[in-house]
Amino acid sequence: MLEAANLTKAYRRHAVQVPVLNGLDLEVRTGEFLSVVGASGSGKSTLLHLLGTLDEPDSGTVKLDGRRIDNLPARERDALRNRTFGYIFQFYHLLPELNVVDNVLMPAYIGHSTLNWWKGRGQWRKRAHELLDRVGLSHRLTHRPRELSGGEMQRTAIARALLMNPRVLLADEPTGNLDAASGGEIVKLLRDINRDEGVTIVMVTHNLEIVHATDRVVRMVNGVVTDDTPGAPKQLPFQPLMLAAV
Amino acid sequence: MYKLLLCLRYLRTRYLAFICIVSVMLGVATLIVVNAVMSGFSTKLKDRLHGVLSDMVVDTDRTNGFEVVREARRPLTPEEAKQNPAVPGARRAYSLGTRVTPHAREDYYVDGDEHVTVRTLTPDGIIHEITTGPAGQYVEAITPTIDTFAVLQYRDRGAVVAKPVRLVGVEPIGRTNVGGFAEYLVRQKGAPNPSFELTPEALQRHEWNLMQHRHEHGADAPPPPKLPVADPLAPPAPDMKLDVGIERPKLTGAILGYGLAHVRYKDANGQLLEEQVLRPGDNVVLTTAGGDDLKPVWGTFLVTDYLKTEMSEYDSSFVYVPLDQLQRIRGMAGRATSFQLKLKNYDRDKEAVAKELRKVFPTREVMIRTWEDLQGPLLSAIDVERSILNILLFMIVGVAGFSILAIFTMIVSEKYRDIGIMKSLGASSWGVMQIFVGYGLLLGTVGAGLGTALGLWITHNINAIEAFISRQTGTAVFPRDIYYFKEIPTNVDPLTVILVTAGAVLIAVLFSLLPAWRAARLHPVRALRFE
Repeated sequence: MLEAANLTKAYRRHAVQVPVLNGLDLEVRTGEFLSVVGASGSGKSTLLHLLGTLDEPDSGTVKLDGRRIDNLPARERDALRNRTFGYIFQFYHLLPELNVVDNVLMPAYIGHSTLNWWKGRGQWRKRAHELLDRVGLSHRLTHRPRELSGGEMQRTAIARALLMNPRVLLADEPTGNLDAASGGEIVKLLRDINRDEGVTIVMVTHNLEIVHATDRVVRMVNGVVTDDTPGAPKQLPFQPLMLAAV
Repeated sequence: MYKLLLCLRYLRTRYLAFICIVSVMLGVATLIVVNAVMSGFSTKLKDRLHGVLSDMVVDTDRTNGFEVVREARRPLTPEEAKQNPAVPGARRAYSLGTRVTPHAREDYYVDGDEHVTVRTLTPDGIIHEITTGPAGQYVEAITPTIDTFAVLQYRDRGAVVAKPVRLVGVEPIGRTNVGGFAEYLVRQKGAPNPSFELTPEALQRHEWNLMQHRHEHGADAPPPPKLPVADPLAPPAPDMKLDVGIERPKLTGAILGYGLAHVRYKDANGQLLEEQVLRPGDNVVLTTAGGDDLKPVWGTFLVTDYLKTEMSEYDSSFVYVPLDQLQRIRGMAGRATSFQLKLKNYDRDKEAVAKELRKVFPTREVMIRTWEDLQGPLLSAIDVERSILNILLFMIVGVAGFSILAIFTMIVSEKYRDIGIMKSLGASSWGVMQIFVGYGLLLGTVGAGLGTALGLWITHNINAIEAFISRQTGTAVFPRDIYYFKEIPTNVDPLTVILVTAGAVLIAVLFSLLPAWRAARLHPVRALRFE
């Protein structure tokens, strides 16, 4: 489904080129829950940005269903990020001025003109409420992000990422800023979404305890994939794993 | 949709936005108030200046007034040549006599082989020539006047007071038709047919003054002079005996500028006081110059009314008397020094009328001027002052614009991460730019809207505010004795308000462009990583 071939990327820091990805190859299969692990600076987040068209590689290609997407015009890449990919960040990245519902609805606000939004606003609100109900936040609809706990903010971010029915969820250290219990809930939620809705998930993490919940684990070292192994089977009970993480 | 939502949310939640709004608001309010006051002063001054001057003035600097002569020549008919035979060796020259008509004095004579008619136009004749000529279609009313200098004398608590004045002889109804006369009278304000007639109260006061005079100077003392001229057609001699051996003439009224009859002064506490020194029925002596050799001439008049234009320059200098009386005093019967014209449409026709009148009066001693020409330097000064003030004040809005630039730059810096989030959710760079430009537009609109409301409120209540400040500080913010205005004049020009408001919004948008462009260019990954 998602295919990265020979990706290279370097950042320039104080006139010094810092290579991050060095000819990385990776294939993400449809419907799988893939975790990417590695030490800090190994290029995990950069890979996620390139897969999700947030950034452009120096060389190499990124393909979605065989179609190259890394060199698309800005407008098409904006549309891909709005409708095909859903992002979940370590620091939640909710908009502080908006309440929970409006944060969840933001992709729909962005993806529609005022008129189109107005015509379909009822459906979109219903969808946002359903998603918030699913992530257990139906009692927090009008709350601002600053009034939520870390776990609640991340669940809001997940609901936002799911609003437009994306085909791929890109999660960048989704549990990195949470305690173990909250992190466990988030991973369980992602697992359920992957299983129930068939959404492909690529999760970057450095927490090896949670990768057992995923179908496949790839390890990155110095900007290349060094290990690619199957993770925990989907049918394994999740709770014992999280207890072990604690 | 998200642009509008975020603009509104940012507006509600940003403290910095409030500062922007206040900056724009104060700038706009200041501009509106200053413009309204300047325009009020300007409009009121123009009204007043225009009011007493009439639309257009045709005048001459000849002390004896207009002498418009029309000469017509034609060959003598054989019969006329026979009746006026040529003397051998001399040029044929015969006077054929004179005829006086309402419009002219016509002298006929023979000059060589020609019959010559010389018509010396009277004021009525000049008016007839103007109104029946091409300029007549534009003229609504016209009246002759005599405009000259004089010295006003009266007694105040036994002492003689003399003031230089501008003495104007008018036909009151004709002058009223031209405009700018009756509406400024105090007793006869707005009267369609004002006159110099004395009221019974004025006559009573005059009699009381006479009694008082006899009481103080004895029964044999001569009464104050009434009217000085024995022969109305001859220039008066300066040493003539008044009221001796002639029929006691009719008492004549004079209309004095309000400031001449009322003295304003400040008492020890700085309080502005006004005292009436000349009441209706009081005597005044007006001395001017008359005759071909410009000897001093004078006349006694009784105050009958006041002219109150609220322009200190006029109210303290103008004295109106009947035209025929001034003609008699100055020995210029049947003449005038100027003609006041009222046009049907001044703005449209002034140039055409001036052009046509110049054809009627081609000589240089006749001046054809609009009221704006007469007050040109003052009107120009007002306009220049207003323009400069506007430029200076618009810099206030410019400063507000720079504060928007600074604050927007801060807001964009604060919003780096939000910009990254929006871009990760699919927002385009153009969309992000629109958020911040829209934010600038919204701040400008709200600030300008509030500023407009505040400015209009201050303008509406400016006199109450001035009174409050004066009370608190103990200093008059607006000294009324300078302009004789009862209150600070204001004039809200809707176009100016619209321009100021739109200009402020435009500046807010322009100054938000640079920060918005920077926001739009922000790389989403760098924005998301921004701490």
